[in-house]
Amino acid sequence: MKNLIKGSGLSALLIVGLMTACQGDNEEVNGTNGDANGNNQNSVDNNNNSNNNANDNAANENGEGDISGELEIQYFVGGYGDSWWKEVIGDFQEQYPDVTIIEHAGPNINDEMRSRWVSDDPPDVVYIDGAGSSETQMVDDGQLMNLTDWISDVETEDGSPLLDNLIVEPASYGGEIYSIPLVFDTWGTWYDKASFEEEGYEVPTDFDSYMSTMGEIQDNEGISPFVTTGQHPYYFLRGVLTPAFGAAGGDELLHDIVTGEEGVWERDEVVATMEKVAEMQEAGYIDDGFGAYNHTQSQMNFLLGDNAFIPVGFWLPNEMANDVPDGFEFGFTPSPMQDAGEPFAIVPDLRPLAIAENASNPDAAKAFVEFVFTQEYATAFSEHTGAIMNLQGVDLSENENVPPYLIEANEMINDPDQVQIYHRPHPMSADLETPLGNSLISLMLGDKTVEEFIEDAEAATADYRGE
Amino acid sequence: MVQTKKQKYLFLAFCLVPTFILFAIFTLYPMFSGLYYSFFRWSGSAANMEFIGFGNYVRLFNDSIIPRTIMHDYFLVATKVVGIMVLATFFAVAIMQLKIKEAPFYRIIFFFPNIMSVVVIGILWTFIYNPSLGLVNSALEFIGLESWTRPWLGSETWALPSLVLPSVWAGIGLFMLMLMGGIGTISKSYYEAAELDGANEWQQFWKVTLPLIWPQIKVSILYIVITTLNGSFIIVQIMTGGGPNNSTHVMGSYLYQQAFVQYNFGYGATIGVMILVLSLLTVFLLQLLLRREKVQY
Repeated sequence: MKNLIKGSGLSALLIVGLMTACQGDNEEVNGTNGDANGNNQNSVDNNNNSNNNANDNAANENGEGDISGELEIQYFVGGYGDSWWKEVIGDFQEQYPDVTIIEHAGPNINDEMRSRWVSDDPPDVVYIDGAGSSETQMVDDGQLMNLTDWISDVETEDGSPLLDNLIVEPASYGGEIYSIPLVFDTWGTWYDKASFEEEGYEVPTDFDSYMSTMGEIQDNEGISPFVTTGQHPYYFLRGVLTPAFGAAGGDELLHDIVTGEEGVWERDEVVATMEKVAEMQEAGYIDDGFGAYNHTQSQMNFLLGDNAFIPVGFWLPNEMANDVPDGFEFGFTPSPMQDAGEPFAIVPDLRPLAIAENASNPDAAKAFVEFVFTQEYATAFSEHTGAIMNLQGVDLSENENVPPYLIEANEMINDPDQVQIYHRPHPMSADLETPLGNSLISLMLGDKTVEEFIEDAEAATADYRGE
Repeated sequence: MVQTKKQKYLFLAFCLVPTFILFAIFTLYPMFSGLYYSFFRWSGSAANMEFIGFGNYVRLFNDSIIPRTIMHDYFLVATKVVGIMVLATFFAVAIMQLKIKEAPFYRIIFFFPNIMSVVVIGILWTFIYNPSLGLVNSALEFIGLESWTRPWLGSETWALPSLVLPSVWAGIGLFMLMLMGGIGTISKSYYEAAELDGANEWQQFWKVTLPLIWPQIKVSILYIVITTLNGSFIIVQIMTGGGPNNSTHVMGSYLYQQAFVQYNFGYGATIGVMILVLSLLTVFLLQLLLRREKVQY
């Protein structure tokens, strides 16, 4: 009996160890990653040996030989793939042959590199995207370099300030800049263009026409027209609600939502928007199984024609490239939650590039950031990823390598009569987004009323403010 | 050769010291560091930490999700103990007492889920519960119970009960084998004597089999309770991620969410301490409840 108690007790004791054990796992994975990157590093070096002579001369002439040493770059590989990164890093290496580039990349790279950040030994450059990364958290933790002064002096190829050439300005944390938005992503609503044309469905232009198209699809096909992932409520929050709030209350409302202003969820325009969501639920337009779907399941259901609309970012076609059925054609529209007569609203969801506060090679890191923001790489980005880089003046209209949906979306976004662009001051903190998302799922399942949701949302903002 | 006292102690040290060192590294150190971090505000992704005393514990008592996670955990504990023990005992007795020829085959079939990773089981059952393509809803439709179909894992009401079935299914095999081992040690003469006294098979089960395999049953129950409290978060994480709207969060999955999704590592460590305390209390209470006189015939 005594032994049993001991044995059971010890097993139970292990649970607290879970916390540290997880950390340990990360370190182990990181080690493996280090090996992989070691190989990576070799291959980059080898590639460069053949080019070294030619590049040395060019580099010396340009005075770029000053940049040297190791440059560690961490980038998340998700829906956009990594081919663009490989091209840019390869070209940077050619231009700066004295730099040894170490890449830390992969779909779980944020978790794998966590122990490096915790031990104050971060990589030099970090692309903040994907699960396990949070720009706001990194700024809160003082992990990112303040770029305010440096970035204002950076110029593009034509000599104009880089800041003037960005489509969207960098996020501002009390007036300070800690990251440069690299990817201009935006959430919107996807549909199957081919099937819409075949069935004669109207692509929605506002909330009323959205409801009527969904009703038509429901009647004709017997399906719930709208799906999203319930396991990750932020897909709906960022893909539908955020632009809806932009359309209803502009930048000011978005600011107050993101910063958790008291009473913001009780404002008339917010309540009206939430009532639209309830209307979609009550009409049975939201797939009743969505609560358990992860993002891949919901996207698969959409591609298989079980649903007609899904809110996702620009990366959807690239992410699901291997699962697209024959005859399916991606169609993109900004989420049509605005009232009739109003333009669409989009709120850019930016994926930034930043330099670590404790970067061991800040000069090379700055050189890399500067190197990336050119027209050439902005065009290449759209070709590789089907998304847009955050740089103005890139002409995609004649580019055959860019998918048609992107050209259309790009044109639409650039036409202020059709689309208004609104901005959040910075991304929403996970501490606010998580409880909001949870209650939102209840509302969308029909388990909560709009009033109950608003009470929850106000409680979440109060918690976030620390009240 | 007689061992001197010194040799005896040296031998004991040789056996115990390495074990203790490993125990200290892999159990005591993580446990105390978990306890240590619970007193800090720390994101878990940066070097800077702020000591906040019992701040995280105050937050724990004010967090309205915590009581729900505890209830969910004990719901899984109760349903798993009942489900696994009843079915494992039934199958063990059936295979051992009914002298079925295909006993080894059934033994392998029932044990099969135990050699599968919990992650695989979670994914498999996610497909089984899929509202449109899943086996459960298809079977209900096939037998004419269309009104019973529902999005099992996507419903706030049904998601948690839906997790019981895969957990029980995955657990039966191991405990069935343990109980079969227990039944195998019972002398046949007890059953012959009981039969001579006119006991039917039901009475033989209650009066002979059950009391004599009680130690195995007790170990099984304790094992199910501990593994559920410590490990049910895997199946939750895979199948529902704690949703919809926290309706399936158990203590472990909520710990994970706080520590690794919401960047509140210090608070996550505090939840870890709570799991430790509750696990210890539960095991202690169970030891008292399951205490019985040892039966010998």
